[in-house]
Amino acid sequence: MRTLSLVSRRLAFVGALLLLWEALTGGLGLPAILDPIIVARPSAALQEIARYSASGLLVKDVTVTLQEATIGLLLGIGGGVVFGLLLGYLRPLAETVEPVLVAFNSLPRIALAPVLIIAFGLGIASKIFLSLFTVFFVIFFNTYLGIRSVDPELVKALRVMGGDRWDLARYVVLPSVFAWIFAALRTSVSFALSGAVVGEFVGSTSGLGYRMVISAGLLDTNRTYAILLLLMAIAVVLVEIAKRVEDRLLRWRPTAILAS
Amino acid sequence: MRISIEGVGIQFRKGVKVLDDVSLEVATGDFVALLGPSGCGKSTLLNAVAGLLDPAECAMLGRIALDGGARNGTRLGYVFQRDTLLPWRTLAENIHVGMEIHAVPVAHREQRTRELIALVGLDGFEHYYPHQVSGGMRQRVQLVRTLAYEPEAILMDEPFGALDAQNRMLLQAELLRIWERRRTTILFVTHDLAEAITLAQRVVVLSKRPGRVKRIYDIPLPSPRDPFEMRASPAFAELETRIWKDLRDEFRAVPA
Ligand SMILES: Nc1ncnc2c1ncn2[C@@H]1O[C@H](COP(=O)(O)OP(=O)(O)OP(=O)(O)O)[C@@H](O)[C@H]1O
Ligand SMILES: [Mg+2]
Repeated sequence: MRTLSLVSRRLAFVGALLLLWEALTGGLGLPAILDPIIVARPSAALQEIARYSASGLLVKDVTVTLQEATIGLLLGIGGGVVFGLLLGYLRPLAETVEPVLVAFNSLPRIALAPVLIIAFGLGIASKIFLSLFTVFFVIFFNTYLGIRSVDPELVKALRVMGGDRWDLARYVVLPSVFAWIFAALRTSVSFALSGAVVGEFVGSTSGLGYRMVISAGLLDTNRTYAILLLLMAIAVVLVEIAKRVEDRLLRWRPTAILAS
Repeated sequence: MRISIEGVGIQFRKGVKVLDDVSLEVATGDFVALLGPSGCGKSTLLNAVAGLLDPAECAMLGRIALDGGARNGTRLGYVFQRDTLLPWRTLAENIHVGMEIHAVPVAHREQRTRELIALVGLDGFEHYYPHQVSGGMRQRVQLVRTLAYEPEAILMDEPFGALDAQNRMLLQAELLRIWERRRTTILFVTHDLAEAITLAQRVVVLSKRPGRVKRIYDIPLPSPRDPFEMRASPAFAELETRIWKDLRDEFRAVPA
């Protein structure tokens, strides 16, 4: 397993999956086990991506969805960090609002989609809000827990050196909180994307999620699967970026060796 | 800096009485070793001196004064029993922290860090993160990051406890050299009798919990001392036998 590079092994695996899928749906001259009307053939879905792209709609839809997810992600992270720090530092306030936050957090956040569409309409605002909410809670709870789990021994060490409150924040609290936040970055990225897409499912006029429900409604299996593949590809790229950012920023951390 | 501990008794809210009527005067420039069985309250006493005890967790009787007064603004160093390097800072950056807090100019800071890194033989490891170096190396960084901002008194809690015999002696020698040059007041906790005699001018034996001062010994060994040679001297052996008699009884006794 060591002789091939990781990338080539991964590509080979994806290729094998696609071939298997192609075979099951009657490609490669084999009898179809899955009806291609219900499950699209990957070759047909890929061709559909080309057609979709040529029509100019693909770029437009991807742009809208990414815009919603990115703005939602950034606002969600910002809001989560600010509120997390605020409540982490203000214990009495935190104790007061905790039950409400827990209640919100245990709500399936996607369930907010219809409410947000009523409030903010079919445009991108309602999707940004949905993205924002899903991300907000992840980041908020991580920030909050991050503050709570600051190592008291490190705080003591800094205090003996003569550190004041600001020094404590700068040398101990913020770095350890950031570790928690960065660790939630990958999850947040995929949450932001799901928020945007689900929002589009529920009610919108453009975006990948919108195009997907429309295609499914028309029983255009090829296009539906084409969009599904696109969403997967986008998610993989975004999560990989998040992972790189995380590895870079957390390079001080020991990496657990789970398997060699 | 002078450390005066007067009639200190400490009881944790959980009901454990840790220290009882401990009085100890550490004069400016003195090197005092605190020796006692595990759990007798040595770390607790250092925390009390450093002002780190949480009043919500424990009650303290008596008084602790630094240079006769409160500890406002005094420069204190503390080498903890546990590793307290900041994991997100490299070794060099860890050494910087105290100097940054005390606003030592950047150029001077870099210069000092280089000297200190060399002092404890860590050249080439400046930019490693704590998890990338050995426990002994981390312990050495803990020591020099405290020396870096030139505290007026240093509390040390078994700073060499986790080291192998060789590194331990090397660092003891280093600490002695530094102390002989600077005469910084040092209060040093250990449960290794030979280490206490090697380093200190005075050795304080604490009883088992609740810790009381059982006896204070003067260590009239000549300076400069060499940890690699001293053990062979008859004076060292004689002191060791004498103090061990006291200590043995406390080690043997089951904590109350
Ligand atoms: N925060 C705390 N709450 C309750 N009890 C505590 C607390 N900290 C310490 N103790 C108790 O105080 C006693 C003395 O602890 P301390 O750490 O001072 O011992 P020590 O002499 O340093 O021991 P060792 O040599 O093993 O480090 C122990 O019995 C411990 O259980
Ligand atoms: Mg201790």
